[in-house]
Amino acid sequence: MQLVEKIVKGERAAIAKAITLVESSRENDKKESRKLISELLNKPGKSIRVGFSGPPGVGKSTFIESFGRYLVEKNYKLGILAIDPSSQITGGSILGDKTRMIEISKNPNTFIRSTPSRGSLGGISIGTREASIILDAAGYDFIFIETVGVGQSEIMATNLVDIFSLIVGPGSGDELQGIKKGITEYADIFIVNKNDGDLKSEASRTASDYKSAISYYKKSNDTADKEVLLVSAIEQSGMENVIETIQNIVSQNKKNKNFEERRAKQFTYWIEEEVREIIQFNIQRKIKADGSISQFSQKVMDGKIQMFDAIEAITKNLQSK
Amino acid sequence: MTKKNSENYTKWQKSFERETKVNLSEASSDTDEGIKIKPVYTKADIENLSFVDNDSLPGQLPYTRGPKASMYTNRPWTIRQYAGFSTAEESNDFYKKNLKSGQKGLSVAFDLPTHRGYDSDDDLVMGDVGKAGVAIDTVEDMKILFKDIPLDQMSVSMTMNGAVLPVLSSFVVAGEEQNVNKNLLSGTIQNDILKEFMVRNTYIYPPDPSMKIVADIIEFTSKEMPRFNSISISGYHMQEAGADNVLELAYTLADGMEYVRAALSKGLDIDDFAPRLSFFFAIGTDFFMEIAKLRAARTLWYKIMRDFGAKNEKSMILRTHCQTSGVSLTEKDPYNNIIRTSYEALSAILGGTQSLHTNSFDEAIALPTDESARIARNTQLILQNETGVTNTVDPLAGSYFIESLTDELSKKAWEIIEEIESLGGMTKAVKAGVPKLKIEESATKKQAKVDSGSRVVVGVNKFKNPKEPKVDVRVIDNNRVRDDQIKKINDIKASRDQKAVDESLVKLVTAAKEDSNLLACSIDAIKNRATVGEVSKALEQVYGRHFATSLSVSGVYGKHFEGDEDFMNVAEKVNTFEEENGRRPRVLIVKMGQDGHDRGAKIVATSFADMGFDVDMGPLFQSPRDVAKDAIENDVHAIGVSTLAAGHKTLVPELMKSLKEMDPKSKIVVFVGGVIPEQDYDFLYENNISAIFGPGSNIIESAETVINLISDKIHKDN
Repeated sequence: MQLVEKIVKGERAAIAKAITLVESSRENDKKESRKLISELLNKPGKSIRVGFSGPPGVGKSTFIESFGRYLVEKNYKLGILAIDPSSQITGGSILGDKTRMIEISKNPNTFIRSTPSRGSLGGISIGTREASIILDAAGYDFIFIETVGVGQSEIMATNLVDIFSLIVGPGSGDELQGIKKGITEYADIFIVNKNDGDLKSEASRTASDYKSAISYYKKSNDTADKEVLLVSAIEQSGMENVIETIQNIVSQNKKNKNFEERRAKQFTYWIEEEVREIIQFNIQRKIKADGSISQFSQKVMDGKIQMFDAIEAITKNLQSK
Repeated sequence: MTKKNSENYTKWQKSFERETKVNLSEASSDTDEGIKIKPVYTKADIENLSFVDNDSLPGQLPYTRGPKASMYTNRPWTIRQYAGFSTAEESNDFYKKNLKSGQKGLSVAFDLPTHRGYDSDDDLVMGDVGKAGVAIDTVEDMKILFKDIPLDQMSVSMTMNGAVLPVLSSFVVAGEEQNVNKNLLSGTIQNDILKEFMVRNTYIYPPDPSMKIVADIIEFTSKEMPRFNSISISGYHMQEAGADNVLELAYTLADGMEYVRAALSKGLDIDDFAPRLSFFFAIGTDFFMEIAKLRAARTLWYKIMRDFGAKNEKSMILRTHCQTSGVSLTEKDPYNNIIRTSYEALSAILGGTQSLHTNSFDEAIALPTDESARIARNTQLILQNETGVTNTVDPLAGSYFIESLTDELSKKAWEIIEEIESLGGMTKAVKAGVPKLKIEESATKKQAKVDSGSRVVVGVNKFKNPKEPKVDVRVIDNNRVRDDQIKKINDIKASRDQKAVDESLVKLVTAAKEDSNLLACSIDAIKNRATVGEVSKALEQVYGRHFATSLSVSGVYGKHFEGDEDFMNVAEKVNTFEEENGRRPRVLIVKMGQDGHDRGAKIVATSFADMGFDVDMGPLFQSPRDVAKDAIENDVHAIGVSTLAAGHKTLVPELMKSLKEMDPKSKIVVFVGGVIPEQDYDFLYENNISAIFGPGSNIIESAETVINLISDKIHKDN
């Protein structure tokens, strides 16, 4: 497949077209996409995948711009997948991430792709996992996945990344309780942004709040500890700590096989998800073709049959097909 | 109300309802400001006013009726036409011609590179040199600009905000080298940075250091340049960007309050600088509203300054320049613009402006020609000399409607001012992006009204001219201007005392670090022949360059079209497109070069998204290469280039070249929108541009064209 070679060579247009393919909802494209991903899985790169999440207004994109600038100056290649919400009413979207990633978006060592969420749950979108496989094969050192806002469903993002980090603002310590417990539990790194100007002392206070909060989460000795870091995206300070922490966690987790274990778990989850999707797709097709649900429901309404008996009959009938 | 009054009113109401067959309670018209305009106003409407004092006379507090007792009966307003293009030599010629034909004051338009603090030889400004104003790189250019114009006699207004330090310095040094001491210079520097962050985007540094520079200039001029207005607090660009009159009024005055605080923080006494604060408003086509706005502005400013503790009467009086609305001009049937501008000018005069610029009818397309500039100037000369409007001060005073409208506008604006104050003042509000978003929302609403036909624009969405007239426009050869400028820069760099330049720039940097006044140091550097770009870059080392983040409204446009057939038709096409192609049509909307006017781009982005498109927004000030990278990485179907500063002839072909380089098989459809003279259409089509949308284009129709072009391209290639 010619596309694979082009991706491995790092051709920008080919990578972009491939991502379009894995995001496509067209049946033909889905088949193509599966072929492509199978081939790419045989050519794994060395990327570290880092997830960034956080409530709106804490400066996620601004942090990524700042941290990204630090990385590309050190000659790392950086791929960014940013997910923006689609409107539930019109289905359209405004993808404005690049307006906050001005410097790094110009840099030849970056690849920045925004993707509309298209109503999918999970703060991640259809094809995000596949897109990160494409960028991995294309030789990017880091792949950042930036997700929409914060919600329970974003835990799904942790199924795609090696390290999951939560970006928070000064003062958010008081709301620790309010932040979805799940995310706090799943995050490996807490990044307290806006450690600058008037907000400095508040940022430090917030950092210690988080530190004491995560002490409850201490897991078994062999996993890397959760870390709380203070940064200022606008002053570009604290960035060396972020990269150091990421590298430490990765090397510790690799030493303890936690890194591979996590990826293996994610792989299992992926397979399960695909299987579930296929079964669901098939069953939906059967239900549509069969049409017995409405007949049975009429019978239930007319008092000719009990509801739960009807359900059992329908299920048996569909399973036998 | 007396018994007779109330009987009369009941009788009138009956007649009105019989004639119109409409209930009086439903007969009001809604304005953009959310004000209900009633079919008739009576004495009762001016009985309990909150802000307006019916007993006050012109020149008396709260100055609703005018800043001076005699107003135009003593001396008419100043005809001050904003102009500048190409090189200093050509602009100087144009100024001198205008002054001979009856213009009284000068108003300089600088090109975008100068605004943004870049020299003409900077790679970033390739397409912009000399285009939307005159290119100024050194004091030598400034001297040429005012050759044979005695600066001790001519008042000069300069629209400059970003690169305010080097440009004002050049003006001071140009004066000195004409043997005019700075204490004799008169005129105005715009120096209003807050509105740049809101709408116009020709800032350089972040908000806080930018505010420090504003305060430095107020401090310096209040001591050294007593005849010079240190700031022109401008609402003009807000209305141009789509703000309604309440937003324009409130945000402008709130900006003013913030500047007063900045100057006070320098330890100045309020009465030492406040008399030199001036204002600048836009005058659009809503005739009575604009008159009321100017009267309300004076009324509110009086209250604001009194509360600040001003003692000097002059500190409390709002003096303003006005300009007729550029955004009300249309590309279609352009001679209508002469008529629009005339009515707008009359509004400004009845509102009591101190000086006025009237737009040329061709400004929706290009810079004015000598001929169109003459018509624009004559619009004012006719008002002054033929109509008798100068014979009576504030002739509309006492009108039930005008007085009541003035009061209502004041009330509404005051609420918004209080809202901004509660956020901690305008600098904080600007950082949070609140005013920008409100203005964009207002702009999108206005556009939707025009596109849906609920607002009539003659010659655009109704009464179209079957035979569009051809109009000759002024053409600037920006490559020639750039070459000329580069040669001048090189000559100066070769002949100047480099050591003196370096030393003065180091001093400037030190002053910035030590937080001392920057204007004096900047004047020294400019005197030594440092360039505008060098002075700006020196400060950039300390302050950094500001990049704005961009928020967008959504749903505002679509709301106006619930059930609209054309709108639903496009939305349906988008859905079909998604079914066929596995994703929605995806469009990247961009601005290139130094052109920061992003109202059009924002409106297109949000309305396309409301029709179901996936819309990528590019940052401001991108190079064609940046745009190509963005477009290819996101695999967009189309790129929409918004251009309002005439850079398209250079930037668009560059974009096409970059796209081909990065992806030789690129199928991306490129369309262009904004201010583009018809003369350039063929050139753009030859460069493989698929569609061009001029000012006044209907967005729904444009969206349909774009989706058709995308579909055609996909089918052709399959």
